[in-house]
Amino acid sequence: MIDATLTLPVDEGFPRRRRVHVDPIAAAGMVWIALALLACWLAPFFLHIDAYATDVAHAYAQPNGTHWLGTDGLGRDELARLLIGGRITLSVGIVAALVAMFIGTLYGALSGYYGGWFDSMLMRVVDVFLSVPTIFLLLFLAALFNGSELTLMLVIGFTAWLGPSRLVRGEVLTLKERLYVEAARSSGAGDWRIIFRHVVPNAMGTIITTTTFMVASAMLAETALSYLGIGIRLPVPSWGNLLSSAQSDLFARAYWLILPPGLAILITVCAFNFVGDWLREKQT
Amino acid sequence: MFQFILKRLLLAIPTLLGVTILTFILLHLAPGNLAQTLAGENATPAQVARITHELGLDRPVYEQYGIWLSKLAHGDLGFSYRRQASVLSLIGERIGRTLLLMGSALALSIVIAVPLGVYQAFRRNTLFDRAASALVFIAWSMPTFWFGTILIALFAVQLRWSPVGGLQTIDTASFDWPSRLAHLILPAATLALVSLAGWSRYIRGSMVEQLQEDYARTARAKGLPATAVLFRHTLRNALIPFITLLGGTIPALFGGAVITEQIFAYPGMGQLFWQSATDRDYFTLLGMTVITALLVILGNLLADVLYGVVDPRVRYD
Repeated sequence: MIDATLTLPVDEGFPRRRRVHVDPIAAAGMVWIALALLACWLAPFFLHIDAYATDVAHAYAQPNGTHWLGTDGLGRDELARLLIGGRITLSVGIVAALVAMFIGTLYGALSGYYGGWFDSMLMRVVDVFLSVPTIFLLLFLAALFNGSELTLMLVIGFTAWLGPSRLVRGEVLTLKERLYVEAARSSGAGDWRIIFRHVVPNAMGTIITTTTFMVASAMLAETALSYLGIGIRLPVPSWGNLLSSAQSDLFARAYWLILPPGLAILITVCAFNFVGDWLREKQT
Repeated sequence: MFQFILKRLLLAIPTLLGVTILTFILLHLAPGNLAQTLAGENATPAQVARITHELGLDRPVYEQYGIWLSKLAHGDLGFSYRRQASVLSLIGERIGRTLLLMGSALALSIVIAVPLGVYQAFRRNTLFDRAASALVFIAWSMPTFWFGTILIALFAVQLRWSPVGGLQTIDTASFDWPSRLAHLILPAATLALVSLAGWSRYIRGSMVEQLQEDYARTARAKGLPATAVLFRHTLRNALIPFITLLGGTIPALFGGAVITEQIFAYPGMGQLFWQSATDRDYFTLLGMTVITALLVILGNLLADVLYGVVDPRVRYD
């Protein structure tokens, strides 16, 4: 088949396959995210070390042939903990972002679509939440429902939907005036059908871009909560609590423990932000 | 203008009420006997009963809320049994320190972000721009507490240029400005990281936009030097929306202060909030949330007023 896109002038109104130009930095980000996901979830297939097995005789071992990244104060393998911890931090980040986007999209779409007093009431509620620093809410909720990964995901998601709801509302305010909405309404579509079949799908660009940034900030929220002692509880590893316990391990001169979790968080969060930034630039 | 401010202040009241209701609901989700929690583990049943009665904890939640609210209207934020002090005095003692920390972080962040963003826009798509963007992204993606610990390890432990943490050197009993400022540098640098990245990216973006406007090209074409166009024409316009952004960053700064004060053992509001969240000091949490929300609302109002002062096109009707 001949690649016609290169030779023919752009034909308005006729959809054709376009080459997607991927910014090299964003591409590197996507590759890193894919590799991180694969490494963390496929870890049991190539690394036959239990992340929870303690071995006090080999506590604080420097990186060596058996323990590539060394061991911690209880002799647990740092690489195994890093990979298992990655599962938890990545899934907390991704699920929390999805929870936030789900609530934010629903809230923003309803608020923007119905407008009027309903909209102003809903937006006042957002104002109320936004006048309380997010970490205050996180501390409240995390202290109340302490413990598991699932609650942490929900707690972070529940505090992060405010920004997205405003963005989606803004999009919906302009989208609902479009002709295709008018057309759908005149052919008898109900409000819910219009919102979720016509308006929200057209706001997907904004929604996906925001989700990418949300994953990054949810992962940072996990590390912050772990530092404050209300995140994922030991012995379950997460990048956040590995990093914060590595800081106290510095007193034992275990300097090799600090870089792996720190770099894992830094590079992965960076990767999500790069991808998000590229998506945002592509939209405008 | 006066009417605008008055209107905004009146609109702030329902928001504040909303904040108190939200906090009240959150606190009542907490499991366990509240009076027992407030009195502490070693309290006698008689003490617990007295607290229950004093605070009206034996009455319905909406009545408790009413009692608390009427006290608030009289400037009484309640009493912390755990800390044996009134909540207002606890906050009063610390609020200045936290505002000083936030102010220094804000100033530091502006002093770095604005020139960096301007220069990046001026030399856009050069090696410098790309390198600076990459650094900014790294700063944006870094856990705050990690950055703080690196600063401590480097400047306080290795180089011994600065104290590790605290408010001031302990053996100086009285208020000691030089010591206080020395103890402020590293926390302020850590807290500045929270806003630095977003701001410099924002300034760069809006400067690039402004430099492509017709008036900027005209100014260049009539022979003005590049620096004059940058600082007298485009920067002014780029800074206008930035003011709103500043107002919106205040909650994040308070949030960042919780972590920063924890790292540096800086006895401010953030540390108090974390401590009272861990030992469930009910009224201290409520009081701090209300005071913080008030400051956030006032900050946003100030930003809106400044917006009008800087941009004569804005009218307050």
